[in-house]
Amino acid sequence: MPDVSPSLSKADLLRMYREILRLRLLDQRMLTLQRQGRIGFYGTATGEEAAIIGSAFALGKDDWIFPALRQGGAALMRGYPLVEYISQCMGNSLDGTKGRQMPSHYCYRPANFVSWSSCIATQIPHAVGAAWAMKLQGHKNIAVAYMGDGATSEGDFHVAMNFAGVFKVPVVFFCQNNQWSISVNIKQQTASESIAMKAIAYGFQGISVDGNDALSVFGAMSAAVQHARDGKGPFLVEAITYRMGAHSSSDDPRMYRSDEEVEEWRKRDPVERMQKYLLDQGSWDAEKQTALETELNREILDAVAIAEGAPPPPVETLFDDVFSTMLPHLQEQKDGLIRCRQPL
Amino acid sequence: MPFEFRLPDIGEGVVEGEIVKWHVKPGQKVKEDDPLVEVMTDKATVMIPSPRKGTILQTIGEEGGIVKVGAVMLTLDTGDGSATAVPPAPAQAPVKKETPAAESKPAAGSSRSLATPAIRKMAQDLGIDINEVSGTGPGGRVTKADLENFGTATQAPTAAKEISTAAQVPARQEVEEIPLRGLRKKIAEKMVQSKHHAPHYTFVDEVDMTNLVNLRVSAKSIASNRGAKLTYLPFIMKALVEGLKKYPLLNSSLDEEQGKILVKHYYNVGLGVATPDGLTVVVVKNVDRKSVVDLALEIEQLSEAARRNKVALEDLKGSTFTITSLGALGGMFATPIINYPEVAIVGIHKIEQRPVVRDGQIVIRNMMYLSLSFDHRVVDGAVGADFCSYVKQFLENPALIFMQL
Repeated sequence: MPDVSPSLSKADLLRMYREILRLRLLDQRMLTLQRQGRIGFYGTATGEEAAIIGSAFALGKDDWIFPALRQGGAALMRGYPLVEYISQCMGNSLDGTKGRQMPSHYCYRPANFVSWSSCIATQIPHAVGAAWAMKLQGHKNIAVAYMGDGATSEGDFHVAMNFAGVFKVPVVFFCQNNQWSISVNIKQQTASESIAMKAIAYGFQGISVDGNDALSVFGAMSAAVQHARDGKGPFLVEAITYRMGAHSSSDDPRMYRSDEEVEEWRKRDPVERMQKYLLDQGSWDAEKQTALETELNREILDAVAIAEGAPPPPVETLFDDVFSTMLPHLQEQKDGLIRCRQPL
Repeated sequence: MPFEFRLPDIGEGVVEGEIVKWHVKPGQKVKEDDPLVEVMTDKATVMIPSPRKGTILQTIGEEGGIVKVGAVMLTLDTGDGSATAVPPAPAQAPVKKETPAAESKPAAGSSRSLATPAIRKMAQDLGIDINEVSGTGPGGRVTKADLENFGTATQAPTAAKEISTAAQVPARQEVEEIPLRGLRKKIAEKMVQSKHHAPHYTFVDEVDMTNLVNLRVSAKSIASNRGAKLTYLPFIMKALVEGLKKYPLLNSSLDEEQGKILVKHYYNVGLGVATPDGLTVVVVKNVDRKSVVDLALEIEQLSEAARRNKVALEDLKGSTFTITSLGALGGMFATPIINYPEVAIVGIHKIEQRPVVRDGQIVIRNMMYLSLSFDHRVVDGAVGADFCSYVKQFLENPALIFMQL
């Protein structure tokens, strides 16, 4: 087993905490916007911030992320502008996907953050394919396939794990085991003792880590990334965490799990744990906490205001991005549409 | 201009919600994000926070009422005075889908009707010049219906006119349409499933409850010492369980796919409870292992939870036999529908004093009818009748219940 102890400078620790806290506050605001009818749909990452930020923190700038539903925070950390993140959920003209994707399905090319399709587990073979290409081209970057616990029951998971093992591709499988695949509990998901142990069957290493401890996640992920980068093949990291909120804004978890269970996990809240660590280290205090919360909330509200001010994408963009050169009949339709929309 | 809050689509594609609870009243001041109202949709019950700061002018809709997505639920004085202050509410934008000004409706025959390629093709196939058609779709778009109506209009203009005049006279609303959804929909599905799969027969008998009535009178105070309100149900449950022990086939279900009868050796009795939303069955588990007073306490607790819509999921599952009690509503007898995939159900009715013949004399006794329905695939008529008369013995001589313990 490689060395998984984290080594981070004080500045890095504070940067990590800032990202974790921002994600927590952003999710609260976004869910409120959804309830108020200002965005259509949202999936919060509440309870899983340490797993998301801690893992993405271990990646290099040129590495590629193939995310699942809850890794938008990783894109933000890698430079995805907050206004674009919020605009994506509104599908307005500031949304890089021009309002064509489901809300909460982000992508950002400059950060090598690939768009997710809602279909479960499809991104895992994509990550393996991309990693294989990196290997063939002799690049030193790696790919990460994020997934939830539910994805491990899909055929795609098997295919990807097997292929990655056989061809020793530089990929890290990161499973955010949050105990619930919408309403299916992990106990009904697999009879294995852990998800990490599944790696053994495919001929490579797996590790389970406390997913609510950002530093443990970072340590394990750093070792896994290094392993892949060194040409030693794939690695599976299982972060044991908990989805504190609903699966999405359309879900009501009170229908299938008890409040007691949620309360039990609340004691292991990843944001509070990181905050406590910083307090113990002497690099944090209540005053700094309040100031940071105020600053982040301001940043979020300002971004919301900008996003809400943006008009919808121009209707003519409907015709874009399908063919590199537009076909004549599409051009005709586009011209017709523009003509119709001109005032008489 | 007061700010109007419209019910957003809080799930994916929900069309309406039920108002569970208002958290504000007219005249109340609210801050942004303060809770306004709790709304239940097909998918979830959610709290809606205020998008604005201000004073509530009006709340629209009663608790328990249905509100359509996009309908105004509440008006708010944002206190900023007139039109200068509040920009067109962004809160409304995703809901109301305002037509942008640029999409203003083009006049028919302006040689530039707005339509999708499929509709253009359809117009071509029908030999209609699409630019002659005036569109009624979003932004003046020509729709399929417009093309169809265009055909009728050109062929029979007089008739079309008459129809449209007739349509303007509001017809007297004689049929109220209530959407089939939520619990009502579940009930409908379950009933159809049961009646469709299980060939029912119903058996009715009369029970002399006089001894049990007397026993209950004396047992009431014992139960109330433990805080329980003692009804007849716990005794009836106990008597039924004795019957189920003797006739185990009645405590089974038929697995059609496997071609097996699954006989249960545990006794979980379902109880039909009327709730404001409709019929719900709560389940009292392991009735054979509980005392009459324990059962009384549990029944009270579960029915109360059911009426308040707060039953835990595990208390709604796993029954092996069901009781439907019409209690004081009485009636003489009924033909209960089996709680599928169980194979038997018993309906219990009002206990009332009736003249009956005992030893050649007319006497007044406390009588009750029992209506039992069975799944005839599993339970033969003779078995059902035997079961009933066996259970009846226990109800008529309640001391026997305790002898069996």
